[in-house]
Amino acid sequence: MTTTLKASRRKGILFLAILLAFALFSAGCSQDTGSDTTAAPATTADVGTTEAPTAAMPAPFDAPPVKIAVVQNSGAGDYFQQWTNGAKQQADALGIEYTWYDAQADNAKQATDMETAIGSGVQGIVVDHGQTDTMCPLINDALDAGIPVVIYDIAILECAPAAVQTQQSDASLADLSLGQMLEDIGKDQPVGYVNVLGIAPLDRRHVVWEEYVAANNWDQVFFVGEFTNAVATDNAQLVDAALKANPDVRAIFAPYDELTKGTVSAINDNGLADKIWAYGIDISNADIEVMTAEGSPWKATATTDPNAIGAAVMRTMALELAGQQVDRSVDFPGVLVTQQFLLDNNITNMVELRAAMPELNLADVQSADWIPAIQF
Amino acid sequence: MSKTTTAKDGATLVVKQPLDLRDLVVRYGFIAVTVLFFIYFAATIPAFRQSSTMFSMLKFTSVVAIAGLGLTMTMVVGGLDLSVGATAGMAVTVSAMTMVIYAQQGWVAFVAVIVAGALIGAFNALLIVSFKIPDLLATLATMFLIQGLKLVPVDGQSVSSGLILRDGSVAPGKFTHGFLQINRGSIGPVPYPVLIFLVLAVVTWFFLSRTKWGRVMYAIGSNPEAARLAGARVGRYRAVAYMLSGVYAAVAGLILASRIGQGDISAGNSLLLDAVAVSLVGTSVLGVNKPNAFGTALGAVLIGILLTGTTMMNFPYYWQDVVKGLVLLVALVFSFTLSRKKQRFVAAVPL
Repeated sequence: MTTTLKASRRKGILFLAILLAFALFSAGCSQDTGSDTTAAPATTADVGTTEAPTAAMPAPFDAPPVKIAVVQNSGAGDYFQQWTNGAKQQADALGIEYTWYDAQADNAKQATDMETAIGSGVQGIVVDHGQTDTMCPLINDALDAGIPVVIYDIAILECAPAAVQTQQSDASLADLSLGQMLEDIGKDQPVGYVNVLGIAPLDRRHVVWEEYVAANNWDQVFFVGEFTNAVATDNAQLVDAALKANPDVRAIFAPYDELTKGTVSAINDNGLADKIWAYGIDISNADIEVMTAEGSPWKATATTDPNAIGAAVMRTMALELAGQQVDRSVDFPGVLVTQQFLLDNNITNMVELRAAMPELNLADVQSADWIPAIQF
Repeated sequence: MSKTTTAKDGATLVVKQPLDLRDLVVRYGFIAVTVLFFIYFAATIPAFRQSSTMFSMLKFTSVVAIAGLGLTMTMVVGGLDLSVGATAGMAVTVSAMTMVIYAQQGWVAFVAVIVAGALIGAFNALLIVSFKIPDLLATLATMFLIQGLKLVPVDGQSVSSGLILRDGSVAPGKFTHGFLQINRGSIGPVPYPVLIFLVLAVVTWFFLSRTKWGRVMYAIGSNPEAARLAGARVGRYRAVAYMLSGVYAAVAGLILASRIGQGDISAGNSLLLDAVAVSLVGTSVLGVNKPNAFGTALGAVLIGILLTGTTMMNFPYYWQDVVKGLVLLVALVFSFTLSRKKQRFVAAVPL
């Protein structure tokens, strides 16, 4: 009796173990649903090149290693893998020794990571994403302990004014894409809009959209959009319905590449590619393919290179450590990529795009003559 | 060294094997592994040696450990509470709603969360004991229910100060200073979450191993029918186990809420699996081969040590799941492959 009982009990525990293993696996699969935008898949990490600095390194870089911690909300997904790749290569070039904390999108874990980092005796801390309410008190703890903090894409200017806040400029990205749209279609046109509000970078792009609509007397005939696990597919359905009701729009602004892809496929499905144009934000290998397909309505997009952004954030940390960072807020500009440019230069992937568009490389941004800036 | 212990209630409980190497490994292997890793990290990583690192590691561990302790009690009665992560997540949303939307004091949020946790446990007990739905299936359903229901009153948004409500007004309250002290406060160098963890670990250990009720719970877990025939009110004990599990998960959620400082809707998502893992790992500690409070606490600390150590050695994030998987696997090998407890009655009192 005992043996049978025990056997069934063991079977039960074994089942649990299998369930656990399966669930751990599926949890791993669902990590990259961040609100952030995607870029080229980093199947193999891009390796940058550095130019030798022309000046001697100031303190504390004259006595390497300089130790810092990077407290990241999530390193998963194409965007953050590239961001991390750029930041690490720039750190190596500067002789910075880093401890990399990755909270795997767990805000509570990021808080304890930050505490560990503060207590571990590092000279500086980079915080990448996170919740303002969660991170702000801890950022102030670090500053109070005399540790300079550089953050990327968290709104902390008000609650931790002594830290350096960096971000890719969503306003400039939206402005570039919409500027091209204005040039292509002109004022007084019926236009469609696909966006999801409540997500910080998309909200910042929304502000610029409203300015353009008002300033150019555009008639916004529809505004759809939802954030799901399959953004492109699900939004294609929404845009499809909107287009059936409003086939006379001249252009559609969808300021996130997954939204743009959904929009493009809806336009194509309705056979309207020659009448309605799409404008987006962000780019990846897959996006380049969609933009350059024959008769594609996707006319322009605005983007940054996450590798270059990661490296520029690390240079900001270096400048802050050397006491040379004056501004408390740093915006990284985007660049405009038009369909015409891609076609004219026969660009089919991100590597070719980087080669053709040196502006994507931010090596001159947040740099100094003593910094071996990394180029991608 | 072979002896037979007879418990007060008359059941023959433990028949010990003569000690040999294999028994030593099964019994102390896990503790030895924990100590060895600790020494290794302390020797190789200067930052790991800082006491602040130790306390933030324990602080991080406390949430998983507390949820795991609650889960352990449901495992003791032969079940498993799959709703602990969702309950903790709900606790975060309830805290935020109470303080941010209804502008109440911190203690109101505290009480609301504990009551909500107990209610969820009672609901689980109702499904399992009265409706006779198997534990795993009932708590799975509860898990989905809470994950969804907690988002209904907040329209699926994270609740933070300045939130725009449905009627267009701005949420009037914020997380109170006192409530934030649950996570940030400390007695001397020991943070409150670590204290809460230690107290609950000792209380749970005492309850399960040193009281009659605990022994009855183990008896129910090994053979509910026999326990019923022996006069135990099986349904009542199982109901208590699930309610305690709900309350423990709510306490874990309180710490999370205080740590995050807003009603983060994703809070608690990863907690269930981590709690199940530490409870399973705990079954192998000291070779007792059954869920127990000491094992769960030690399992949580070992995983905390490994995660902190590997992070400081700059292992990429995906290695953390590999580490957890390996720890679990090793623990299971201790429990199933190396252990030979054929003569040991499953209802033996641990420790």
